[in-house]
Amino acid sequence: MSILTDPAHAPYLFLILFGFLPSEVWRFVSAFVAQGISEDSEVFVWVRAVATCLLAGVVAKLILSPSGALALVPLYARVGAILAGGAAFLLFRRSVVAAVIFGEGLLIAAAMLFT
Amino acid sequence: MGGLSRVEWALEGVRQAVKGPAWIVAVALTGVGGLAREAGFPFGAAVASTLLIWAGPAQVLFFGAVAQHVAPAAIAFSICVSSMRLLPMCLSLLPLLRGRRTSLLTQVVASHFVAVTVWTESMRRIHDVPRDARMAFYFGFAHACILATAAFTGLGYWLMGDLPTPLGAGLLFLSPIYFITALARNAREAMDWLAIGFGLVLAPVTSALAPRGFDLLFLGLVGGTAAWAIGRKLRARRGEAAA
Repeated sequence: MSILTDPAHAPYLFLILFGFLPSEVWRFVSAFVAQGISEDSEVFVWVRAVATCLLAGVVAKLILSPSGALALVPLYARVGAILAGGAAFLLFRRSVVAAVIFGEGLLIAAAMLFT
Repeated sequence: MGGLSRVEWALEGVRQAVKGPAWIVAVALTGVGGLAREAGFPFGAAVASTLLIWAGPAQVLFFGAVAQHVAPAAIAFSICVSSMRLLPMCLSLLPLLRGRRTSLLTQVVASHFVAVTVWTESMRRIHDVPRDARMAFYFGFAHACILATAAFTGLGYWLMGDLPTPLGAGLLFLSPIYFITALARNAREAMDWLAIGFGLVLAPVTSALAPRGFDLLFLGLVGGTAAWAIGRKLRARRGEAAA
């Protein structure tokens, strides 16, 4: 039986064709485009701003329209937990770990109260 | 740490990842394993999805769509659109990683490991690594992250579904709280803070106005360009003041 027709391989083939390749194409293309980008150029600075803004948008979407169990926690508690994390971040000299611990602590406490 | 060899720098990358970031991304993606099982995929395919796709949102989208019997072409399309964000991430990291003799092939391989955690953490840490050792450090760091995450995806395949709600909510909250603080940790100048602020504030606007799936792309282009333009003006003004 060939590798392509063996049913045991079907999920892997499906994953590669419809999950891996459509995602990986951007990384592949970027390696070539990046050849033309110098570290000292304005384009390089601009691309960093675009990537940063986009990721902040991902965070906003995860908080505003969450999935699964997180959706059961009220919006103000989700936003409050982000703010608590931000406060801990500033209090503990830009510590990411402190932000995660305080934010998670508040969120899980809220989830225990409301769900 | 100037006297370290490349192998030592690779191990330093592993060490820094294991001190925190690798575990955060690993735990945050535990849920993907459970989604894969619900969608009917074998254990190996769940783990392979982390090794191959290596992008949380795309993996969630993929298994969620398969579970809902979405047409394969439509799945591929939405994955493709959602992973577009990897482009500016790779473009802003690769020029920092490469040395004068780094081959194109090495950069193609390096680009595979770019995802939110590896990107945010590398963007900051790489400045402390000598140019010739950057790829070595990066590969050490990235491998530790992806392998830890693959292990946790496998763990999630068997464990998920039985979690009490508060813990499930906490698990889903890990990505946003970590991403936003990691971005803030990386902010070096006014432009970075503006980009973060615009992203948070404008996200509801673009998701209401832009075509479905393309909202983040619009957000990045509009908010990122605005942050860059204002940041540039501020930099120029400071330059004048200094002169």
